[in-house]
Amino acid sequence: MEKATSEILIEKKEQLEIKVLIVDDEKGLRTGTKRLLEREGYIVVTAENGNEGIAYGTSEEFDIAIIDLKMPDMDGIEVLKKIRELYPNTICFIATAYASYETAIESTKLGAYSYIPKPFTPEELLDHIRKGYEKRAYLLEAERWKKEREERLLEVAFEKTRLNTIINSISDGLLVVNKDGEAVLFNPSALKYLNLDNIEIEENIIERLHPEAADLLNKFLDTGIYEPKSYMAEIEIKPNHELVVEANCSSVPHPDGSLAGVVVVLRNITEYKKIEMLKNQFVSMVSHELKAPIAAVYGYLKIFDDSSIKLTHEQKKNYINRSVIRLDGLLKMVNDLLDISRIEMKTVQREIKDLELQEILRFVLDTFQIEINKKKLSVDLAVDTFIPPFKGDFDEINRLFTNLISNAIKYNRDEGKINVKICKDNSYIVTEITDTGIGLKPEEQKKLFSEFFRVKNEKTKNISGTGLGLSIVKRIVDAYAGKIEVESEYGTGTIFKVYLPYKNL
Amino acid sequence: MLNDKKRILLVDDDIDLLEQNKLLIESKGYEVITAESGKQGWEVFTKEKPDAAVIDLIMEEHDSGFILSYKIKKDEHGKNIPVIILTSATYVTGFKFGASTKEEKEWIKCDAFIHKPVVIDELIHKLESFVETARTEKV
Repeated sequence: MEKATSEILIEKKEQLEIKVLIVDDEKGLRTGTKRLLEREGYIVVTAENGNEGIAYGTSEEFDIAIIDLKMPDMDGIEVLKKIRELYPNTICFIATAYASYETAIESTKLGAYSYIPKPFTPEELLDHIRKGYEKRAYLLEAERWKKEREERLLEVAFEKTRLNTIINSISDGLLVVNKDGEAVLFNPSALKYLNLDNIEIEENIIERLHPEAADLLNKFLDTGIYEPKSYMAEIEIKPNHELVVEANCSSVPHPDGSLAGVVVVLRNITEYKKIEMLKNQFVSMVSHELKAPIAAVYGYLKIFDDSSIKLTHEQKKNYINRSVIRLDGLLKMVNDLLDISRIEMKTVQREIKDLELQEILRFVLDTFQIEINKKKLSVDLAVDTFIPPFKGDFDEINRLFTNLISNAIKYNRDEGKINVKICKDNSYIVTEITDTGIGLKPEEQKKLFSEFFRVKNEKTKNISGTGLGLSIVKRIVDAYAGKIEVESEYGTGTIFKVYLPYKNL
Repeated sequence: MLNDKKRILLVDDDIDLLEQNKLLIESKGYEVITAESGKQGWEVFTKEKPDAAVIDLIMEEHDSGFILSYKIKKDEHGKNIPVIILTSATYVTGFKFGASTKEEKEWIKCDAFIHKPVVIDELIHKLESFVETARTEKV
């Protein structure tokens, strides 16, 4: 029996540790009550006046407070107010010898749980406290639930915001519509890629979409059935390839498998389309350029074969000569194209060596000596002192300057000049090639480095070329992280400046 | 008048094709006057008032032939003469040619397209059929 009782006591203490504050100016009552409650396993703190009561009651949270109504320094109601202000779940009893209906009303109005009329028996007190504690337990439980619920709501809200932030940050456009075609969700990229200023949630969006995008959505909306598949379309949102998007559209199911709506993901493929177009243009240009000389030679052969056409000896000689010239040009073009393709595919086997650019330019000028003499051009090569060596592949750098010098000769006037200057700045070796040739108009300068661009006018009519020379120059310069600039005055001449880096290679 | 040789304006920026087609058309009993660009073609046209024009499509610009044919067809003299555009454009090169839509038909005024390399009999046949139509229409 004894053992059982002590076990219960220990259990009680461990389980409860109920803290009680007694505020009373009557010493006998304080000590008596304290002793009684401690025996029952409560933790008891006593205060002998109102101020002390407030001090204890607000320094930590008590489960229960028993406050005397009439104290010399202040009214027990004051103490009650202060404690409840800070700890609304502390169960407060007002103990009073002047129990009256008014007092009871007043104290409960102010948050007292109940009042205990003095004098009270130990049983009465313990009963009050037990009920009060039960109430407190309910309160605490309710508060815990409320807090948990609030936390969960906060979590959900946070998840939602986070998801929204993520969706809004995606560079691809996202648009979700319900099965009636009303906008449900979208991100800023979707506005951009659909070329819309704004989308109202729940507005019918289908008719405001680009027709092709609307068609895509309607594939699902028209059937009204959820299908686990997707449709894709490339849509030109802004004309002239200004904005092309790839729209990927799939249906969204309800939990029961019926159609909830449609989700569209929009990806900007404008750049990709531009590259694709450039590639197509290049292929068609190449075909066209290759076809022309073949057609010319083919035409002459057909004429030779045509018995109805009588040709003079002169004509025959001329046509054979022309055929050779055209085939020669064709061969050069094929070689240039192969070079471009090698540079583009980065399959060039570069043999990187220290190169003296002045040596290469001397070498190039030497190989053109016949052409230079024929046009009676004067050539000057000026080299600054201390030009560092350039690390590069001889053949490529030779090709670069061969193309530039060849142009400086071809497009020069008779008895013109070619000035070559080599100097260095902080990071580049700069080679300037100045000619006194036909010069370029501003619009021609822009297109100068594109494939097959050739200046077409009376002066260039008899100058042969593939239209690929400067395109190759540009590619070589780019391959060495260099740059090329052109300055030109129409009718006066042109300066090409080649910058090749001598550091960081 | 009927005994007079008809004069054909031939415009092509490829001097070899110009030479060859000139020979071919001449061999069929026509007189050929030539020009090497759309711009020059217009100058020669206004000066010479030819009986027909055969124009290469792609010259200094990709649509030089269209522009010249448009100008000729707008001209008081030119609106009555057949204009044929030569084109090497095929599905391989990707250039669009021919008048397939209503707008294009309105804009591209030429009477026919002929693919390069030119099959001379086809060209002459086309030219003569247009000359014939023009004659019957006049009657």
